Amino acid sequence: MELQFGGTDALIILGAYAVLMIVIGWIAGRGKKLGKSVGEYYLAGRNLGFITLFFTLYATQYSGNTIVGYAPTAYREGFSWLQSIPFMTAIIGVYLIFAPRLYVIAKRAKFITPTDWISYRFESKRVTIVAILLMLWGLGNYLLEQLVAIGHAVSGLTAGAIPYGYAVIGFIVVMLIYEWLGGMRAVAVTDVLQGIILLIGIVVVLIGALALAGGSLSGVSETIASTEPQKIGVPDLQTNINWISMILLAGIGAAVYPHAVQRIYSARSERTLKRSFARMAWMPPITTGLVFVVGIICIVLYPGMDTGQSEQVIGILANDIAAMHPFYYWMMIIFFGGIVGAIVSTADSVLLSFSSMVSHDIYGKYINPNATDERKVKVGKFVGIIVVFLLLWIAWNPPGTLYQIFVLKFELLIQVAPCFLLGLYWKRLRATPVFWGMVIGATIAGVMTLTGNNTLYGIHGGIVGLIANFAVCVIGSLLMPVSEDYKKHIHSKTSLHDNGVQM
Amino acid sequence: MKEPIQKKWIWVGFVLLILFNAPWYLPEGMIEPYILGIPLWALISVGLSLILCAYLSWLCMTQWNLIEDEEEEEFEKERRQS
Repeated sequence: MELQFGGTDALIILGAYAVLMIVIGWIAGRGKKLGKSVGEYYLAGRNLGFITLFFTLYATQYSGNTIVGYAPTAYREGFSWLQSIPFMTAIIGVYLIFAPRLYVIAKRAKFITPTDWISYRFESKRVTIVAILLMLWGLGNYLLEQLVAIGHAVSGLTAGAIPYGYAVIGFIVVMLIYEWLGGMRAVAVTDVLQGIILLIGIVVVLIGALALAGGSLSGVSETIASTEPQKIGVPDLQTNINWISMILLAGIGAAVYPHAVQRIYSARSERTLKRSFARMAWMPPITTGLVFVVGIICIVLYPGMDTGQSEQVIGILANDIAAMHPFYYWMMIIFFGGIVGAIVSTADSVLLSFSSMVSHDIYGKYINPNATDERKVKVGKFVGIIVVFLLLWIAWNPPGTLYQIFVLKFELLIQVAPCFLLGLYWKRLRATPVFWGMVIGATIAGVMTLTGNNTLYGIHGGIVGLIANFAVCVIGSLLMPVSEDYKKHIHSKTSLHDNGVQM
Repeated sequence: MKEPIQKKWIWVGFVLLILFNAPWYLPEGMIEPYILGIPLWALISVGLSLILCAYLSWLCMTQWNLIEDEEEEEFEKERRQS
């Protein structure tokens, strides 16, 4: 849709924003030996402090979709979308299962990628390769989604002054420049800026929506109850099951995202990590919670929209808010700038994680095991360029019937969860069942999604696959004979005490 | 040393808070009573979500301490030396 408040003013804001990100990237990387060490480039030297770690967790977990996608969902589904608060909070609960111990082991064994843990624990080429494929597939599709979203947001904001294609390429170039200049440090520091703008944007659009609705929320509930009672009543059983399934899917999926795991490795200390998580636990109510309220207000402001129209509801709302007063006009430009920033801040983290896995895991482990860190970083940088342009090509030339395979993200990524959640604590867990668990889980999730059966009695395909995956891991491991030596060997690797076991 | 995975009560609390977040235990279609203009069932769900936030935040700060003391001692030593 065309935004009435954008145009030249938005161009100036976006231009300034792009320059600022590059400058931040340059400052973040200045004087550091970024190109010479994978730990420096991909994990910011394992030295992220509280503020940067908190904001990079925040800006990475909450993308532009949190606003542009969740407000229309609240509009369509009504009060049952309150689930967006607990499903973002549950991520911290899942982190609490594995992050404390993984942080200790990762620090000792100097992990760079999530795959490092998997190959360290299972010592199995096929487990490592399947995990890499699942994670890269999920990450690639996630990145593809972000790239498409950047184009729509920028072309909408500039009223077409920057066409969709140029917007995508422009922001990719900006992202690559600051990522090259500062690696993970640049990504984390720009996340501070992007996270703050996103938060301000959400608060401003809520104030604007409230102003449009007449200044208060009273009456909103009664109006919805009289016009669309199904959106405000207690939902049916299937929706309730779906609600709980969504908490599990998002909670587990977002916690084991490769870029999320790498943020555990990047923390300066345990204290920094736990403080960041403790604050993150409070972010859903003031992020997805406020976006939910905006979506609910829109039910009253713009009744009767179909699914396609409702996808545009944030743009329509922003147009109306901007028309109220010059103050709101500028606030809406900043708000959309915040959306662009939120998308970019997610895309940059995903891209860096993708590059690290290709260069460190595939190139460094299987193609050229003797490669120096400098060489791996270079390979990662070039892979980054190739990947984004390959994804762009796919985005602009979508394959006809198989387009659905580019929708699979969480469903596949989540299948590596047993490697972390069970692998850290259960010494009997063996590589063969883990391998088959991932294959079977991913197949179930993939087939369900590709055949259009996204849920089974309200339970998401990814969760159905994960239940099967866990079952295969547990039953398979119990059926396999295990020696005391094996148990001791795994114990020494997963112990909290330093037993001298290195990668 | 404190590790959250070792304490069963933490996970019982976590599962219960997730399980009761969705209002499956209330009659389908129920809207009233309203409290402050919001349906009671929605307020209960939001309340439980806020308790989940507080619970997880509190767990992070109080039930997790593996190598913190060791690390902080090292940082302190480094600070003194520099």
